[in-house]
Amino acid sequence: MSATAAVDYNAMDDDAFRAEARAFFESEYPENLRFLPRRLTWAESKPWWMALSKKGWLAPNWPVEHGGMGLEPGKLIIYWEETERAGIGRMPDQGVTMVGPTLIRFGNEAQRAKYLPKILSGENVWCQGYSEPNAGSDLASLRTEAVLDGEHYVINGSKIWTSMAHHATNIYVLVRTDKQVKQQRGISFLLVDMKTPGITFRTIRNIAGHEEFCQVFFDNVRTHKDNLVGKLNEGWTIAKGLLTFERLNIGSPRRPLQAFEQLDTLARAQKLFDDPGFVDRYTQLKMDLNDLGSLYQRYVDKARRGEALGPDISMLKVFAMDTYQKLAELLLEAGAEYGAYADEITLADEKIDLMAQFYTSRPGTIYGGSNEIQRNILSKYVLQLPG
Amino acid sequence: MTQPDFTEHRSMLSNSVADFARGADLARVRKLREGNPECDRKVWTQMAELGWLGVLAPEASGGMGLKLGDMAIVAQGLARALTPEPLTAAAVLAVRVLADSRNDVLKGMLLEGLVSGEILPAVAWQEEAGSLDVNNINVQATPAGDGFRVNGSKRFIMGATSADGYIVSARSGQELVLLSVPRDTPGATLQFDALADGRQSGTLTLTNVIVPKAQVLNSGAAAAESLARAIDHTAAIIGAELCGIMSRSLEITLDYLKTRVQFGKAIGSFQALQHRAVDLYIQQELSSAVLGECLAILDGEPDAKTRAATASRVKARCTDAALLITRQSIQMHGAIGYTEDCDVGLYVKRAMVLAAWLGNGHAHRRRYAKTEILEGAL
Repeated sequence: MSATAAVDYNAMDDDAFRAEARAFFESEYPENLRFLPRRLTWAESKPWWMALSKKGWLAPNWPVEHGGMGLEPGKLIIYWEETERAGIGRMPDQGVTMVGPTLIRFGNEAQRAKYLPKILSGENVWCQGYSEPNAGSDLASLRTEAVLDGEHYVINGSKIWTSMAHHATNIYVLVRTDKQVKQQRGISFLLVDMKTPGITFRTIRNIAGHEEFCQVFFDNVRTHKDNLVGKLNEGWTIAKGLLTFERLNIGSPRRPLQAFEQLDTLARAQKLFDDPGFVDRYTQLKMDLNDLGSLYQRYVDKARRGEALGPDISMLKVFAMDTYQKLAELLLEAGAEYGAYADEITLADEKIDLMAQFYTSRPGTIYGGSNEIQRNILSKYVLQLPG
Repeated sequence: MTQPDFTEHRSMLSNSVADFARGADLARVRKLREGNPECDRKVWTQMAELGWLGVLAPEASGGMGLKLGDMAIVAQGLARALTPEPLTAAAVLAVRVLADSRNDVLKGMLLEGLVSGEILPAVAWQEEAGSLDVNNINVQATPAGDGFRVNGSKRFIMGATSADGYIVSARSGQELVLLSVPRDTPGATLQFDALADGRQSGTLTLTNVIVPKAQVLNSGAAAAESLARAIDHTAAIIGAELCGIMSRSLEITLDYLKTRVQFGKAIGSFQALQHRAVDLYIQQELSSAVLGECLAILDGEPDAKTRAATASRVKARCTDAALLITRQSIQMHGAIGYTEDCDVGLYVKRAMVLAAWLGNGHAHRRRYAKTEILEGAL
């Protein structure tokens, strides 16, 4: 339909594509929203969402026929890298990152026609209903249940750590639809309108003082049975299928690199390079970051070749997040007395927010499967240790 | 002869702190955060009545004249309850500096006021981040009338929000002088920066502040020595506070490991978490052993070099252990540990503030290396 849809980005030279992405992100993304230590609200996101949508760049991971850019893994990684390089904030992007790919792969034609255009137009903002108060690391034990009643599933229960639910119009939920079988076999994937009677939520303030999480309550919430994605009781497979590629993104060295740049600024301002003890630790982390880059590149190359990413990719998340935390910790220690300051400091005309880096680094070892769970995955599926 | 008295004092202090901590309420702590002042003067008076502000002060000033080992009991217990009042800043740092003063009139007035809770002074000595050297200052005191005219800035002042006045170190020619500057003195302005735990770090700017001779507390080598000793003793008591922080944070976390069920079991039954909990416990016990031994050494009044190295051992170990334990407390709680409502977050934040105050682990290791390792090698 539009001229942009006709561009075959995959045919472009990598450098040319990178240059175009960089130029676009640099010139169009609002300056005041770069490198924020928190997620963007929907109100903040919307202009950028629409700008991306207009250019046809909102959904780089979706096929062209559904309104995406249809990027192959290599190009997609360049897109992500440039997003991070430009300091573009995290939008309430679950529609693009999770719902779209899920519907494209597991949904039916009617679901795709109903929901995909509304994601691209910014009409629907999605949030994720996975974890529950008693089902975190042990997600498969979830108890929010859905019972078929005529044409509708009736949902009861509660979801927690739902990021940005207070800005969302829709939620996708994992629900228990069969209690008689093995836990993983009785879970289904449902789509629900947040305005449905019976849905309420409360916001949860995080340790940094931001309200990003919510708990969402379902009290006899009815959603039409057409909103079941995939087959009944196959929701676990759907949920798991989406996680590996996400882990590649989480393992990118870009975010720790930003913290490292702050460390560099701080070290120069405070003349820390005169201190051999500091230089040793700085160098250790610098080399850790380089090595993280090598590990990341190995997976990027694999994805580029079109190979499946196996459970071993968990090591990327473990090492990336551990390295990021060590960096944020060194940043606070290098800040000496300033390392206790709650807000941004100005040293040698440069602004540094030490505490924001610290807070941002903490949940990375918890969300999306904690580092403990990643290690379980590695020991069980890669090392094949017993137990 | 004095030994039985020690035991008696310590169990009395220990009981009164335990009583206070039992009644202490984290809702009050949460409410006081980002308040200015961060200290509740009613609670402060209560602390004075319990004798805690005068543990180290001489009996002549209404104090108890006890040891750092006694003070540590109070500091550790109150830290467990996250008490925001500036106990250590006043009852150790300010008391030590005041008790050494050679200005008997002013010393008597300020110490008695401090011990009774009526006057709250804050020591303003530091200017550069990461520095533990009392001589590394630029605030100038130039002779004026019978006293001084003072110019310059002091940073990282703890307990500044509720302070009634400041004990300011300044350079007068080659000498260090310690001056008492009441809060409302013309030319003295205060600015605050919020700290992670909701308390405030004060920056005091002095512009042509006139300090009459009667306000001079100490000068020369005695002033520098007094301030250095006060800083070392305070760093050691901050170590006691950190021990309180880490022990409570670990306690809350162990409770959680015993009660949180995932995969059909208490998560504390998983060996990975058991081993981590044990490692944290070892760090806690190591800190407590170092604290106990080092306080006894400090109470023996060793020479300045030993004193500095001993204080650095305490501050470095307790800082590292408290940061590790509180951060792992978040991790072992999972997502709930990352919320504002979860108490472990309060301990994480207080640990960061105590860690950074009067030299963090890195600063103390650097100082230790300088005095204990490199000096002999050079």
